[in-house]
Amino acid sequence: MADALSIMLWPLIACLLLPGILVYYGLHIVRREIIFVDLALAQVAALGICVAILLRHGHDWQTYAWSLGFTFVGAAIFTLTRTRDHRVPQEALIGIVYVVAAAAAILLLSQSAEGNEELKRTLVGEILLVQPSEVLRAFALYAVIGIVHLVFRRSFLMISFEPERAIAEGVSVRAWDFLFYVLFGFVVTSFVRIGGVLMIFSYLIVPAVCANLLVDSLKAKLVVGWLTATTGSIVGLYASYKLDLPTGAAIVCALGGALLVVAVASRWGRKAGRGSLRSSERA
Amino acid sequence: MNNVPPYLIVCALIFLGPAAQAKLEIVATTPDFGSIAAEIGGSRASVTTLAKPTEDPHFVDAKPSFIVKLNRADALVEGGSELEIGWLPALLDQSRNSRLALGAAGRISCSQGISLVEIPATLDRSRGDIHAAGNPHYMTDPLNAKIVAEHIANALCQLDPKSCDVYRADLKKFTLGLESKTKEWEKLLAPFKGQRLVAYHNTWPYFARQFGLNIDLFLEPKPGIPPTPVHLAEVVSRMKAEHVRVILVEPYQNRRTAEAVAADTGAMVVDVAQFPGGVKGTDKGYIELMDYLVNSIAKALSEGRK
Repeated sequence: MADALSIMLWPLIACLLLPGILVYYGLHIVRREIIFVDLALAQVAALGICVAILLRHGHDWQTYAWSLGFTFVGAAIFTLTRTRDHRVPQEALIGIVYVVAAAAAILLLSQSAEGNEELKRTLVGEILLVQPSEVLRAFALYAVIGIVHLVFRRSFLMISFEPERAIAEGVSVRAWDFLFYVLFGFVVTSFVRIGGVLMIFSYLIVPAVCANLLVDSLKAKLVVGWLTATTGSIVGLYASYKLDLPTGAAIVCALGGALLVVAVASRWGRKAGRGSLRSSERA
Repeated sequence: MNNVPPYLIVCALIFLGPAAQAKLEIVATTPDFGSIAAEIGGSRASVTTLAKPTEDPHFVDAKPSFIVKLNRADALVEGGSELEIGWLPALLDQSRNSRLALGAAGRISCSQGISLVEIPATLDRSRGDIHAAGNPHYMTDPLNAKIVAEHIANALCQLDPKSCDVYRADLKKFTLGLESKTKEWEKLLAPFKGQRLVAYHNTWPYFARQFGLNIDLFLEPKPGIPPTPVHLAEVVSRMKAEHVRVILVEPYQNRRTAEAVAADTGAMVVDVAQFPGGVKGTDKGYIELMDYLVNSIAKALSEGRK
């Protein structure tokens, strides 16, 4: 066990500290029904990394800047396409951004010797070999973003959860939406380099879905979401160590397993609830 | 350790009890170095290999067990000259083992003492995945394997001076076997001197030099860059013009590309590998692998001549 901890220490710290903000963003995203926006933004961020590789920008900050720049473009696209036009649902545009960004990454990396390896890395990341400095930097950034969200929570929550009311109250939905996506862009860009596209999607969506299945209030959802993310992380990391599996993929599958458990439990719980209701009616 | 029958361990404990000593824990990056380290280390060493024989040595997937193995190892046998640059440094960082630090006795870098070919005059990544120190696939030349074996024996002697005589004896046995085999291999390939072969990746310059073949036409337009239609068309027309009949493909390379080119030119696709175990029937060790390589290439070349 001590051995496991010494090897998996920084991956574990990363998986405990960083998903906090992802779970919160996940609640917004599930509520907005734009599930694949994170996959698309993560892919756009990865495309930025590919451009940096191709231009042979060796420095970390240059890669980060490219990745961030691309993510901002993505953020602008998603802000402008949030409409109530039912002929073109936003989900369709999000899907298009995802596949085009993925295809463009393949085109770019076909020009680079490390292409295949980098493509795989953008998918599953390198959480096992994460550097302490990377984790701490990302955590500092997430803390700042978390504070921004805390300070302006009324506006952020309103544009996601009650957009009609926001419009009625004259809140500038577009401006807040853009800020929402820009901050989200920072979150995604930092995490894509550590965990990859698959992991970021799992940390965003799985805990949020579990929370929606089990509880109603936002606070309770956050608690359930964080518990799910933490449990999934620990189980995934431990399985990866015990069975010697690729770490990122193991965590994603553990989160999938967590959702299965929660779904079955909530089904069963509802049935039991209904059963007791019926028996009380009879009495 | 796992495949040693328990009764042997019991016997060993009874007879050698007081004299028994801990084995040297050796980690090798790729199976070619692993098999030679096992030959030299014999019963005094337990050798584990990180990369699978079917894996691209430039890109190996990191798993938690790699860190454990590196953390416990007394010695690391690596190819060096940037062969493992894409994956080994981060693993070594994480494993925090001072015995494997650069310059430590336990860090056995096999490219020391090898004269590498294709050292680039200028470093320019636009030419593909090129290596500053030269082409790192030097183990396909048996003469280089001899140098590597000697280098490993010297390093093991330094790490474990008490068993030095045993290592030297193992080295001698390996070298003699390799030398007699090399003569056999030269004879087998002698009729094909100067013939041109196609390879997927530039893995074989040392093999070609040793046996007098020309392996200088590649399906990849630049090392590491996937084949493009225009480049493949060029390769096909050169193969037709020069009657090239053999295409070498390794396990992790795209065999379908090679098959398509073969169908266009009437050439033969030959499955080869740099590592023992990379193709069927070669998992016993380095000499068995080279035996397979020489025989299958000689066979393909003689069939192509008909």
